[in-house]
Amino acid sequence: MDGLPILSLIVFTPVIGVLVLLFVPGHAHRLIRVIALATALVSFGLSLTLLGFNTDGAEFQFREDLAWISAFGMRYTLGVDGISAPLVLLTTLLSCVAIYYSWGPIQLRVKEYYAAMLLLMVGMLGVFVALDLFLFYVFWEISLFPMYLIIGIWGGPRRVYATVKFVLYTLAGSLLMLVAILAVAIAHASAGNDFTFSYETLRGFGYADSLQALAFVAFFLAFAIKVPMWPFHTWLPDAHVEAPTAGSIILAGVLLKLGGYGFLRYNIPLLPDASVSFAPIIIGLAVVAIIYGAMVAMVQPDMKKLVAYSSVSHMGFVMLGAFVFNEQGLQGAVYQMISHGITTGALFLLVGVIYEQTHDRQIAHMGGLNARVPRFAAVFGLFTFASIGLPGLSGFVGEFLVILGAFRYNGFVAAATMLVVIISAVYMLWMFQRVFFTVPSDWMRRWWPALRDLDRAEWTALAPLIFLVVALGVYPGPVLEMIAAPVDRIIEAVNGAGMTGLGPLW
Amino acid sequence: MDYVNDLVTILPELVLVGLLLTIITADLFMPRSAKWMLTPLTVIGLLIAGVACVVVWDTNRAVYSGFYVVDDLSVFLKGATIVTGIFTTLFAPAYLSVRRIPLGEFNLVLVSALIGMCVLASSSDLITLFLGLELMTMPSYVLTGLHKTDRYSNEGALKYFLLGSFASAILLFGISWTFGLTGTTNIGEIATAVGGQMSGGLLVAIGFLTVGATFKIAAVPFHYWTPDAYQGAPTPITGFLSVGPKIGAFALLIRIFAEALAPLRADWLSVFLVLAVLTMTLGNVVALTQVNVKRMLAYSSIAHTGYIMAGLAAFANAGDQRVAQQGIQSVLFYLLGYAVMNIAAFAVVAMLQRDTRRFGGLNSFSGLASRAPGRAAAMGILMLSLTGIPPTVGFFAKLYVLLATVEAGLAWLAIIIVLNAAMAAFYYLRVIVYMYMRDPEDDPAPLERSPAGSIALVLAVVAVIALGIFPGAILGVLEVSAASLF
Repeated sequence: MDGLPILSLIVFTPVIGVLVLLFVPGHAHRLIRVIALATALVSFGLSLTLLGFNTDGAEFQFREDLAWISAFGMRYTLGVDGISAPLVLLTTLLSCVAIYYSWGPIQLRVKEYYAAMLLLMVGMLGVFVALDLFLFYVFWEISLFPMYLIIGIWGGPRRVYATVKFVLYTLAGSLLMLVAILAVAIAHASAGNDFTFSYETLRGFGYADSLQALAFVAFFLAFAIKVPMWPFHTWLPDAHVEAPTAGSIILAGVLLKLGGYGFLRYNIPLLPDASVSFAPIIIGLAVVAIIYGAMVAMVQPDMKKLVAYSSVSHMGFVMLGAFVFNEQGLQGAVYQMISHGITTGALFLLVGVIYEQTHDRQIAHMGGLNARVPRFAAVFGLFTFASIGLPGLSGFVGEFLVILGAFRYNGFVAAATMLVVIISAVYMLWMFQRVFFTVPSDWMRRWWPALRDLDRAEWTALAPLIFLVVALGVYPGPVLEMIAAPVDRIIEAVNGAGMTGLGPLW
Repeated sequence: MDYVNDLVTILPELVLVGLLLTIITADLFMPRSAKWMLTPLTVIGLLIAGVACVVVWDTNRAVYSGFYVVDDLSVFLKGATIVTGIFTTLFAPAYLSVRRIPLGEFNLVLVSALIGMCVLASSSDLITLFLGLELMTMPSYVLTGLHKTDRYSNEGALKYFLLGSFASAILLFGISWTFGLTGTTNIGEIATAVGGQMSGGLLVAIGFLTVGATFKIAAVPFHYWTPDAYQGAPTPITGFLSVGPKIGAFALLIRIFAEALAPLRADWLSVFLVLAVLTMTLGNVVALTQVNVKRMLAYSSIAHTGYIMAGLAAFANAGDQRVAQQGIQSVLFYLLGYAVMNIAAFAVVAMLQRDTRRFGGLNSFSGLASRAPGRAAAMGILMLSLTGIPPTVGFFAKLYVLLATVEAGLAWLAIIIVLNAAMAAFYYLRVIVYMYMRDPEDDPAPLERSPAGSIALVLAVVAVIALGIFPGAILGVLEVSAASLF
């Protein structure tokens, strides 16, 4: 490349923004918002250079590598491959959207809010670009605490309960992962190698089966809680319901992807034998998550909670695709992550728009909105269909590929997930119908005169998401091409792998 | 000329003694209105002592007929001691002056405790070791009771004194058994005399030494004095007590167990494992239920003792010398990192106690973020550091201990440590919840504003973050320090 440390610039631009914010008086709300948005936009602009990712080139591009803590071989290594590059773009884009959308809703402690948002960006971006396990862990933890503050300070009535639950769940998982990271690095070093945390060196090293099994469980807990996978999902609905809208956008759009990304980047290539042996269990859990999430979503009275449970179901598809270990499944998993980030982010934003005006999210309190706010209804409809997986919109590609992959793995698994596609149509369309088409509830009539359609700010925030959800739906080629090579590498890593002790469990 | 050379090797101690005399004299002749100058005076004296530490770095020789050793390990511990001294000197005056606690006495007693810690760090003989220990703990009792008119302070001091002298006696008994069995009090010679051969007599000796020493570091089940002493002592002094004597007591543990009894480490390992697990778990569980921040930090300090003990256990279980050294290094790093963050955390608690009737309840932190954003942010960072969240020194310290334990083949201990850390997150984060997610009380505690305290707080927070991001800066020093044991 041209020698510019582009990834560092993307990751640390928000830190510069935070430092600038420190010197801005707290009451200058407008200035603070402009600075925060400008910082996020600069980071987004810089991340657009990742579109120049060469799909035929080296595995990791835009690499940076500096010595950090040399006593233990911890290095500052950054780089992106075909999986992380689109996720970095998704992160910067959704952060811009979230920061821009916060303009209206956030009126209290504005400076702290935007500082937390920008720090959150640093952590999330760092996780996607780090190629050193220790560095990855540092970013992983950094991404946790800003969200803790965002939910805890700017959230709903039960925000403290929700945020403490969120942080303790995540922390418990990630601390065990830290032990696993150390164990893996030490096992590698004690075989006579240099002490290193480098991802590229540590993967592909034949760790003993017992270590693989234990380390896999530790990594699995950290990532499964983040995804969140059934039965570790219970923090998610609480966190979503209490989080401010922008917090939900980031939470669903990016934070959950950290877990999925972790599985693809660390669990499988680092511990291929354990991954293969544990795959049936994980596939089982994923199928349960897909079905359970959809069933529970069906009965939710709260729009935000409904979307939250639909996330459990959709992220189940990611897990399923990741662990069937074939090209379709894995490509579908990555595609589903990107698509889910955009769709669910947009859905949370739209729920936020209605919440800002009525201070309510109860589906029973809505009704007939189509007559009053038709453009809002149209956009909501678009994302509803994208979430269901209507062909031509982004959700279809990922789900289709995952189901295809599942078929190659086992027909029954595929059949079960196929059914859920129908259930997802039920809960999404049913909600859409009750909110937009039935007669307005008495409750809603009180707000009727005050309701307004999407304003220019909301259109601006939604425009890139609308564009992407359609573009990724009709023309998935470039992204699939990007993720093809890393997916092949994952398949290669697990090819012929398996723990001799346990053997494949099916 | 040897005489002069010997004097140069104990330069830090000499500077501290000089400082002590200067403080006494200055305190006598200073007009009341100029007493505040004692603080800068003490800080300057301590800084000179810090420079003296740099001077004696790399001396590595035993002096005074083998009673005293100036190796890099001792110099590192002295440096850490002086750092805690400087922070305490800067944090305390504002708190003391509202309560009319004389500054001169405070500085005086503090410096004598520091001298004791330095002597302890350098002892290569059980006699000097005990001397240093008493020189450290006696002033600590006085410091606890410095607030003469406060009954909690009196109660804390009395409990600390009674249990502390009891522990000293037990330790002394263990020392005499060791002497009786090996015929020497010199640490190096004890190691040779013991020679890896366990006997019934040695078992008794180790038993008494363990009980006495773990009393001093406040390990469970010998921790009962800690919460009362910590809660009763004037808050900035509690900060000092929770780290200073801990550095000293771990110096004692290292000298006795990692040096004199190193050949028997397979035998004392299991006791230390049990004590470490008990200490961290009980400390955290009890801290969960505390509503007084001082008590909470007191119990959390017990938990941190457990983590540090895990580093010692890693030393004992290590297969080769490199791993063993890793264990000692993790202990040293943890001590230094913990010293900075905990003193600063107690200092923030003290800043909320300008009103003398307040006792540091969690409520006093309500809505601090809107009343004093800077201090709330500092406290938030310190709490994250105590929890062990990157990029702070607390994280790297915990990581170092984990690394040492996993490397030494004690992965299960590492798992217990992280589960404890997750539990601790709950009560540390509760402080952040109060500061950021609650509204201030109707009648909020007035805040103390002192330039010295603010400067020290900024310094501490910067150090906590800088050492968290670039721990490599002191890893080299640590490596050399720990190497002098082997």
